[in-house]
Amino acid sequence: MKDKELGKKVKQFLEDKKYFQINSSVNDGIVYLDGHLDNWENVVELGHKIGQLKGVEEVVNDVLSNDSVKIMTQPKIRLSKKFYDPILPKKADVVIVGGGIVGCFIARELSRYKLDTVLLEKESDVCGAATGANSAQIHTGVGESFGTLKRKLCVKSWPLFDKISEELDVPYDKTGLLIVITKDSLSKNIPGPFRHFLCKYLIPLPIWMTAKMAKDKPKIVSKGKLLKMEPNLSEKALVGVLMPNYGIIDPFRLTFSLAENAIQNGAKIFIDTEVTNIKVENKKISGVVTTRGTIDTDFIVNSAGVYADRIAEMAGTREFTIHPRKGGIVLFDKKMDKYVTHQLNEFKLPRDEYTKGGGVLKTADGNINFGPSALEVPDKEDTSTSKEDIDNILEKYAAVFSYFPKKSVITYFSGLRACTYKEDFIIKPSKNVKGLIHAAGIQSPGLTCSPTIATMILEILKKEGLPMKEKEAFNPASKRAVVFRELTLEGKKNVVAEDKLYGNVVCRCEHVTEGEIVRAIHSSVPALTVDAVKRRTRAGMGRCQSGFCGHLVAKILARELGVPMEEITKNGGDSRLFIGKTKELLAED
Amino acid sequence: MNVDTLVIGGGPAGLAAALSANKNGVKNVLLIERGPELGGILPQCIHDGFGTVIFKERLTGPEYAERYIQEITKTEINVKLETMVLEVDRNKRVIAVNPTDGLLDIQVKTLILAMGCRERTRQQILIPGDRPAGIFTAGVAQRYINIEGIMPGKKIVILGSGDVGLIMARRFSLEGAEVEGVYEIMPVPGGLTRNLVQCLQDYEIPLHLSHTIVNIKGKNRVEGVTVAKVDSNMELIQGTERFVPCDTVIVSVGLIPENELSEMVPLSLDPITGGPIVDEAMETSVAGIFAAGNVVHVHDLVDDVSTEGEIAGKAAAGYITGELEERENPIKVEAGENVRYVVPQIIRKKSFEQNVKLYFRVKEVQRNTSVKVFSDSEQIYSRKERVVRPPEMLSVSLPSSALEKTLVVKVVVEKDNEKKS
Amino acid sequence: MRKSHKFTCIGCPSSCEIKLFEDDGKKIEVVGGCKIGKEYAIKEFTAPERILTSTVRVENGVLPVLPVKSEKPIPKNLIRESVRALAKVKVRAPIKQGSIVYENMLNTGVNVIASRNLEARSLEQ
Repeated sequence: MKDKELGKKVKQFLEDKKYFQINSSVNDGIVYLDGHLDNWENVVELGHKIGQLKGVEEVVNDVLSNDSVKIMTQPKIRLSKKFYDPILPKKADVVIVGGGIVGCFIARELSRYKLDTVLLEKESDVCGAATGANSAQIHTGVGESFGTLKRKLCVKSWPLFDKISEELDVPYDKTGLLIVITKDSLSKNIPGPFRHFLCKYLIPLPIWMTAKMAKDKPKIVSKGKLLKMEPNLSEKALVGVLMPNYGIIDPFRLTFSLAENAIQNGAKIFIDTEVTNIKVENKKISGVVTTRGTIDTDFIVNSAGVYADRIAEMAGTREFTIHPRKGGIVLFDKKMDKYVTHQLNEFKLPRDEYTKGGGVLKTADGNINFGPSALEVPDKEDTSTSKEDIDNILEKYAAVFSYFPKKSVITYFSGLRACTYKEDFIIKPSKNVKGLIHAAGIQSPGLTCSPTIATMILEILKKEGLPMKEKEAFNPASKRAVVFRELTLEGKKNVVAEDKLYGNVVCRCEHVTEGEIVRAIHSSVPALTVDAVKRRTRAGMGRCQSGFCGHLVAKILARELGVPMEEITKNGGDSRLFIGKTKELLAED
Repeated sequence: MNVDTLVIGGGPAGLAAALSANKNGVKNVLLIERGPELGGILPQCIHDGFGTVIFKERLTGPEYAERYIQEITKTEINVKLETMVLEVDRNKRVIAVNPTDGLLDIQVKTLILAMGCRERTRQQILIPGDRPAGIFTAGVAQRYINIEGIMPGKKIVILGSGDVGLIMARRFSLEGAEVEGVYEIMPVPGGLTRNLVQCLQDYEIPLHLSHTIVNIKGKNRVEGVTVAKVDSNMELIQGTERFVPCDTVIVSVGLIPENELSEMVPLSLDPITGGPIVDEAMETSVAGIFAAGNVVHVHDLVDDVSTEGEIAGKAAAGYITGELEERENPIKVEAGENVRYVVPQIIRKKSFEQNVKLYFRVKEVQRNTSVKVFSDSEQIYSRKERVVRPPEMLSVSLPSSALEKTLVVKVVVEKDNEKKS
Repeated sequence: MRKSHKFTCIGCPSSCEIKLFEDDGKKIEVVGGCKIGKEYAIKEFTAPERILTSTVRVENGVLPVLPVKSEKPIPKNLIRESVRALAKVKVRAPIKQGSIVYENMLNTGVNVIASRNLEARSLEQ
């Protein structure tokens, strides 16, 4: 559709729907909106509606509302120069902006080639944003809408994880997903016997079909068998569809493994390095300006999560808007591990429009969790979890059981999905700036699709002119560092005999030893904050939530980094754990 | 490695248990402690008030601990510090590890669990909001200030008016911090009156009853909390929300017995106390495994903890010599009206001790009551109490001879009939 | 002018409310509570005292701070100033429990003593 035609169509739509305060323009298939609406929900709704119009390639939504949040945070250095002060290279063949799963996978794949690859992450650790706060599922694609890139890539991606998990030594568990159809699956407005019939005999079939099309091997499971498989299910369960290839992975371990493998093979990763500007000459990328200096480059991969639109804007091109969709997750005590074997999702119609609905999930370490929820929020930094969200999550997902001890909650957190208004991935070169490649709009199933996204990006880079000569000495394998709690008695004995630091158990709940913490601090992507240590070792992820080990981890960090304990932070910046030594406040008076 | 009596935990319960086992004839006693020194929680409890029953003095925590630690040095009790127990099973095989000895595989004749308790977290009580730095449970903050010499923050809000929270309100004040207030969700305070006076009133720290924290705000470090009033069902009263700027949130909302190892064996646990079910000799559901102190139920007085440890040590010695017979068809102990729980939960038919001491807590505050104990349907004990409060544990001592034919012992707290003047 | 003051007795769980009436510090009358309560209220009004417990900084010790306590109670109104005085103190390990860390706190005649033994840091630490 030509821009003029599309422009008229959009304006007609706005008029028809009475959006009188909204202005629109179209350029190269992208619709630009501005104006004012009452609240953020309206802004997102408008963006979605425009995005759904035929012919619209993408939406740039500048419409403001009373609760819009303008990005005001100043770029800054978050870690003390005393223990992190890297010197950036002056040049690179490719600069990847964003160290989540996508950025790290791309870095690792690029490290197969004779290229100077640099990855920049603005936070004090990789894996700190959405990659560190998701449901960790390897989806098969069954829940994705047909015709989306999400679906296409997901179906191709999930079979790759057997090899990936082995190569990178990452815990990967095919728990399988049980779609449970219950008496509550359909609206109560449908009369009972008819509803029962639909639920039991008709609904399983399309679900089974869609799973087969996603290359899974689904099985319809009768009620009797369902309750045998999952004895804690509620009596209201009628029938189920088992998707045996649904799995879970350790997203932390996967990201660190990729990052470490990339570095092992010659890539450079810089944390706490924020891109502040992008140099463009003659509509071509010529470099990135960061808080630690400038790097000349012809190629930038934009995998900047919720800030991917801001990065594009720095390069002078506005091709999409990212609106963050928050997802809350409630995590339970490991004691609950055996309560459920498969992951569960209670099927509900009508479907949520933009989310697969979450479920009763598991982590690769055995923690059952509920979620994720889906809430549109205006603030790209808002990872708070509200009371309503916690209550809703607990109520919604416990409903599939006859009883669930909600008291076994050990923690809850929220992550932000980076969504475009077309609700699909954007894996393509920029329309207006040569050398800028987008890996943007990554929402679920982003984790699952990361390998195929990386492959696509590399193909695009090649097509855009990046010379890609394979290295002879590329080593795809990454061996996990010692995980003490997973060793046999014999293994534990040996490892302590070799290095007595493994004999000091620091995190009592997860049996994490000082040896593992010290290794993490000095790893190739160093853990320089309490949260970074937590992500790599699990210290603090147990039921006491660092009540016992918190000060010990801080002490070890202080010792290894050569700074006083008061300078240790939770996750960089102002997140100091303490304010100073005792008596100092008294001296101030 | 073989050990006659292994005590896990070097706090007041473990210290007393090890000493008692040794005193009663056990030669090969090993005390395992995960920290770098003995004393458990006591070294960080620098305030006084410990030992009023056993030593008839008001000692500080470190002073109380020192009394027992000195005794230990006079014996051949083996002590391993910085040693973490990884596994325990019902065959009394214990796996532990430390940097010097490496992995320890210990077969024990008797085991005494004395691991104490842990603090309930902010997450367990579902306080919404962000996850910034600056949120500490009271015991952790106490450790930082009194052992590490580190100040957690300078503008403090405390949730929970139990004794630990009150003590920390005073401690923070004395170290120069500003304590904005103590917020308590119940309509009555949780700690001793002594602490309300000497920790809050003395320092003009306001106590807000029927209040709780409904949100924590802070991107990197705590920036403030939203507090609100709650009704009698502990539900938020709309419109009472108030934002309190602060940089530190101290969470003091309860202690839970450290039952990881207890569950590993597995021992039968009491769902109310959270600790193992024990008899009056502190023996658990597995013969030869004993438990004492806060790991069984959270105490108010350290003196009671030491007493329990002493009983457990003596019983462990008795198990080895055979004096402590196998427990058969124990007497059940029930918590009756206004009694939340009773420890021990069972009593031996042939008691090991001359007197059986029952510890219990009431469910709610009552004035002018009587504590009564029934042996089956017969009342065998009664005494008056002017005031009973859940935070103050009560006890009853009964001669074992009175329970010889009993099937069920029931403890009841009843309001006296109004006296007509 | 006759003034009234309220005290909560800490003698037993009853926590009785005691009212104390006084005229310029004289003609003291106490209402409520038992004998213990009345004595408590009078003491709290005329000469309230507290045991002081705090920490002092340590040089060369296995721990950076040492818990200390006043041997006897000191006047309540001197507690804050005492704590400030202790903030300037630095003791050198090893320290024996009971040894005097601060002599005659603010002329009360009361010494502040070490609450525990504290070893010196060994060379390897």
